[in-house]
Amino acid sequence: MATLPEPIANLIATLAKLPGIGPRSAERLALHLVQTESGAVQQLAEALVRARERIRPCPTCGALTDSEQVPCALCADPRRDATLVCLLERPVDIISIEKSGTYHGKYHVLGGKISPLNGVEPEDLRIAELEERLKHEPITEIVIALGTDVEGDATSSYLAKRLARPGLKITRIAHGLPAGSGLEFADELTLTHALAGRREMD
Amino acid sequence: MHLDHLRLRDFRNYARLDASFAPGFHVLLGDNAQGKTNILEAIYLMATLRSFRGVGGAHMIRQGQKGYFVGGKIVGQGEHEIKMYWSAAERKLSLDAQPVRKLSDYLGVLRVVVFCTEDLQLIKGPARSRRRFIDLLLTQTHPGYLGLLQRYARALRSRNALLKRHSPDEAALDSFSAELVKLGNEIIRFRRELAPKISPLARLAYRRISNDAEELRLEYQPGVKQDFAVELAQSRKRERTYRSTIIGPHRDELQFQLNGRSAAQFGSEGQKRTLALALKMAQAEYLTGLHGSPPILLIDDVMGELDVKRRSGLLPLLERAHHARGQVFMTCTEENWPRELGRDWCRWQVKAGTMHVRG
Ligand SMILES: Nc1ncnc2c1ncn2[C@@H]1O[C@H](COP(=O)(O)OP(=O)(O)O)[C@@H](O)[C@H]1O
Ligand SMILES: [Mg+2]
Ligand SMILES: [Zn+2]
Repeated sequence: MATLPEPIANLIATLAKLPGIGPRSAERLALHLVQTESGAVQQLAEALVRARERIRPCPTCGALTDSEQVPCALCADPRRDATLVCLLERPVDIISIEKSGTYHGKYHVLGGKISPLNGVEPEDLRIAELEERLKHEPITEIVIALGTDVEGDATSSYLAKRLARPGLKITRIAHGLPAGSGLEFADELTLTHALAGRREMD
Repeated sequence: MHLDHLRLRDFRNYARLDASFAPGFHVLLGDNAQGKTNILEAIYLMATLRSFRGVGGAHMIRQGQKGYFVGGKIVGQGEHEIKMYWSAAERKLSLDAQPVRKLSDYLGVLRVVVFCTEDLQLIKGPARSRRRFIDLLLTQTHPGYLGLLQRYARALRSRNALLKRHSPDEAALDSFSAELVKLGNEIIRFRRELAPKISPLARLAYRRISNDAEELRLEYQPGVKQDFAVELAQSRKRERTYRSTIIGPHRDELQFQLNGRSAAQFGSEGQKRTLALALKMAQAEYLTGLHGSPPILLIDDVMGELDVKRRSGLLPLLERAHHARGQVFMTCTEENWPRELGRDWCRWQVKAGTMHVRG
């Protein structure tokens, strides 16, 4: 195979680092981009930089938000039920729950789960932030919606204990979610069932 | 159930092989190091996704090549097409042209029982080899069991990682303990239920082979005596010394007793060989009873080691598999082929990575 010019090879290598993009797609995208009209490429580059510069985690719930919108739109929305908080691993999980269309409470993103094999400890998660919210917000129920793998299960039981306090109900949705996967694999229907059938944790 | 077709590419010493097999008895003849066992290994690999030699995928790639392919057509209730490809960079497994997403959907399409000289490890080896025997049997018979084992292993490794820390977070440790106990109790329940089902089958097989009066008994001896959660909590002090989890089904034992005495400790060499054979026969009988059709039997080099008496004890099992339209693959060297079998079998000549029917 003839070697590609260095800038193309470099672009392919950079694109291939993105999730879900293998060497083939990276090659296809790169070859497409270097032959695209340069104004459009400029726009793409600017959109990338601008998005990266402006997006940050909401200091309250951890969802991704525009740095000019703090707290985020979900936190600020007065129509959302402020007594209910859904606890998630990652910001993308919010999208799955929102798509199900049946949840109208607020969110809190943990930023992972306790995972001794990957060196993730409770202090690495946004648990203290949640405890802070419990002091100031009228929260009466926390719905834990972590994945149902071993770490997800262990983290849920850890949280159920740590967050327990009088007047606070802690429930978990796990039923109907495929075992061993995060929320992203759950389709909307199973999520709807899961949300309706959430169980109080003991 | 039988293997109708086997296709190998760059697997061990086979550059390419395409062979078709009828139901019934297949004897693979050839000198040493020609590739007889490699054929059995490939069939076992399709059934269990592991090598019975206990090695990883890289060992099975033909020297100097990038990856191996093993494919097979299985004919039983219906027809199934298995394709697997393994290389350092890529692993593919498909069943009927669909990628396999859940192992529990796959395992069970092809069921095998292997008889080999390493079976003696079942008696002489560490408890791990006996747990593997039970686990393989449960995996072949209960779709959810493999997932359960994997979850348990993950919980155990996570918990051990926590115990390695200088001052483990006790609350985090508790939550992984709870997982371990929940999963461990399920594993214990499966194993406890299996033992009394296998025990009489093994006893019968043992008696058939040996004609001796000894009574064989399998005893499941769980590491947990009564209450996993309580005993795990009680072991916390010793865990601090060992920095790992010292109680749980990963410490289970399966003991074989002859007339009430441990066969591993008191059995003669001959008794141990008979016992190893009896366990495998019990496994085959159990699978046959449960599924209504016999598993494919893979018999590697066993004939040469058996005296006439034990050989004739094994024969009824082989013949039964034969009659039920099952299939047996047996490797032999020229001197050892089972003349007592009669003439109703297919004879293959294996030579330097090729295999041909011998008239
Ligand atoms: N990865 C490999 N690549 C090429 N040849 C291999 C590989 N692994 C084993 N072999 C060859 O396979 C032969 C052994 O095959 P085996 O089936 O064990 O023989 P036997 O006929 O004695 O049962 C040996 O010649 C060995 O060199
Ligand atoms: Mg051999
Ligand atoms: Zn927010």
